[in-house]
Amino acid sequence: MRKLVSAPALFIEAGAFLIVGLMLAFWYAPTDSSSMGFSQKIFYYHVPIAETALVAFGIAFVAAIAYLRTQDLKWDRLSYVSVRLGLLFSILVMLTGMIWGKAAWDTWWAWEPRLTTFLLVCFLYAAYWVLRSVVDEEQRRATYAAVFAIIAFIDVPITFFATRFLPEGLHPVVISVGGTGMEGSMFVSFFISMIGMTLLLVGLTRRDLAIENLKDRVTDLKTSLGG
Amino acid sequence: MNSPRSQAIERGAGGAPVRDWAQFKAILRKDLIRELRTRDMIVSMILFVLLAMVIFHYAFSVKEGVDLTYFTGGMLWVTFIFAMLLGLNRSFAQEKDEHCLDGLLLCPVDRVTIFLAKTVGNLVFLLIIQAVAVPVFTLFFIERSYLGDMLPFLVVLLLADAGICALGTLLATISMNTRSRDLLLPILFLPLIVPVLIAATGATTLIFAEGAGLGGLLARLLFLLGFDAVFLVAAWGTYDFAIGE
Amino acid sequence: MSDAHDRQDGAIPLEIEVEGLRKTFGRREVLKGLSFSVRRGGFLSIFGPNGAGKTTTLRVLATLLTPSGGAIKVAGHDVREDPMPVRRAIGFISHNAMLYPDLTAQENLRFYADMYGVEDREARITELLERLELSARRYDVVRTYSKGMRQRLAIARAVLHRPRVLLLDEPHSGLDPRAVDILDGLLTEIRDEHTFVMVTHNIAKGLEWGTELMIIEGGRIAYEHAAGVDHEAFSAVYREHVRDGSMV
Repeated sequence: MRKLVSAPALFIEAGAFLIVGLMLAFWYAPTDSSSMGFSQKIFYYHVPIAETALVAFGIAFVAAIAYLRTQDLKWDRLSYVSVRLGLLFSILVMLTGMIWGKAAWDTWWAWEPRLTTFLLVCFLYAAYWVLRSVVDEEQRRATYAAVFAIIAFIDVPITFFATRFLPEGLHPVVISVGGTGMEGSMFVSFFISMIGMTLLLVGLTRRDLAIENLKDRVTDLKTSLGG
Repeated sequence: MNSPRSQAIERGAGGAPVRDWAQFKAILRKDLIRELRTRDMIVSMILFVLLAMVIFHYAFSVKEGVDLTYFTGGMLWVTFIFAMLLGLNRSFAQEKDEHCLDGLLLCPVDRVTIFLAKTVGNLVFLLIIQAVAVPVFTLFFIERSYLGDMLPFLVVLLLADAGICALGTLLATISMNTRSRDLLLPILFLPLIVPVLIAATGATTLIFAEGAGLGGLLARLLFLLGFDAVFLVAAWGTYDFAIGE
Repeated sequence: MSDAHDRQDGAIPLEIEVEGLRKTFGRREVLKGLSFSVRRGGFLSIFGPNGAGKTTTLRVLATLLTPSGGAIKVAGHDVREDPMPVRRAIGFISHNAMLYPDLTAQENLRFYADMYGVEDREARITELLERLELSARRYDVVRTYSKGMRQRLAIARAVLHRPRVLLLDEPHSGLDPRAVDILDGLLTEIRDEHTFVMVTHNIAKGLEWGTELMIIEGGRIAYEHAAGVDHEAFSAVYREHVRDGSMV
């Protein structure tokens, strides 16, 4: 059982799910009958990536709280690894969203709720990195980063709510996807991609944690050798 | 060990705890006296706001006789947010430079009391700035009568200000302890404050351009209230970590 | 005495108890397990080279830093679990005056008096300003004060709330002779019934005041002794234990 959750195995499993999901998306799920046509298929990746990004930020949020309670730096490590991955996924959300927009409505950008929220999310968590880079002392850096990770995560749903519901009448909502109520074949493809994406996140997280751990040990060795 | 002096010493060491309210007032009074005496923050913020108005006029007057009424909400709130960033940096810089923060942390005071006192202090300064800016802006940019709309606007003002000051105070506390404190604060603050910006500008524009009353603004007002509540609680829980060492 | 902290003399309680104090900043371990105690009414003089961890130790006692490990009690309360009573019981004098330059002496002291809940506020402020010879400048902003005057006002700030324990971080450094006399006079006056911990580079002052002496070096206690050591002998010990120190 352990072998199944080790990092290399996770990548293989993730790859398997994603490829199957992709095949299902192209050949099994029906082509969307609305104006979006074939380009709608990007939904099978775009939405799982978005949700996985939010999961990553959620992990960072929980890890931040854990760090503040225990002052154990391993929680800080999990927190910033998750933020980094979440940021990566968020940029992918923006890119796939823009590709979708161009393919379906011939426009690279629209100020619609989801894209805007993710744009702000990118800025928010980029700010997290800037914050980390200007604090030299480890414990203090971890503490401030944790506080910000908590505040930032709380702000994500608030931002989404604000961009979606407040500018009523001032901005038309351009893109709307049928949320729930997917028919069976669509749902299966979507679900498999979702699992694949989540496994990918877990695999990447484990790998990154291991890399950071090694980095720290190298630094320790260096200081004890070189002084 | 029973002289009047040793009794006084005993009382000083672990006697009845000082009430939070008294300490809150002491910190607030200290910050207000300091600022009103030097007028560092207020003068720069007022100048900034008035200059912003001139710059906005030139930035947006691309066509002859263009009506900027619909833009006033946006201009006002963008200006207030950037002015607040200036002010926040100032207000914490001195605590840090003179090591007065140590003196404050040595006191038997709840860290949250410090947070609340600082937030209210910043709120007072923001209100002073706004008392100058709003009449000037609205006079220059709004092309309809709006005196009857001041009440709903004040409600929007207070709700948005509370969120701006609470979040700003928390983030300024963090950024003042870092290497590039002046550059960091805007980067941390601006993405977080966007929801308030959306709600406040929407509400303000509706008030000044279309005379909307409190009823029409209910969604936005409730949103601002919710934002304030959520972030006050979040700051309450994390301020200890932000200010300590 | 190395066994001072486990000998409990029933008559005089321990005001400061430190057991296994550790403090790490990131990866750097600054304090590596200090254990010592100070009896009520005692005066501990701490010496050591720069970077040894003396100021860090003092700041932990003052609740300005949280320790990474160990049990530290001041005035009977744990500094981590119960910092509020500790703060009420201590006064801290360092070379940073911790005064607001744009406020007057009166306003500064009034602020701190309110923060500590000093009941006879005005009388106490008047009394201290007189004692420290600052009455004439009571209503002047601190920005106009000389360094010596600021240090004197800082002393007033530290003892305003009648703390039982005084923590002093190189209090004599940078003071003019008059200010040194005033400080020494004040210390003499409150010497009884108060407990002191003083970090100093000034061996003469440290020996003059201390009932217990300690050298901290590399985050550890290198030497401990009760008072009664003469200047020559102590300097020899100091040189022996410390590679690069500054001595007076």
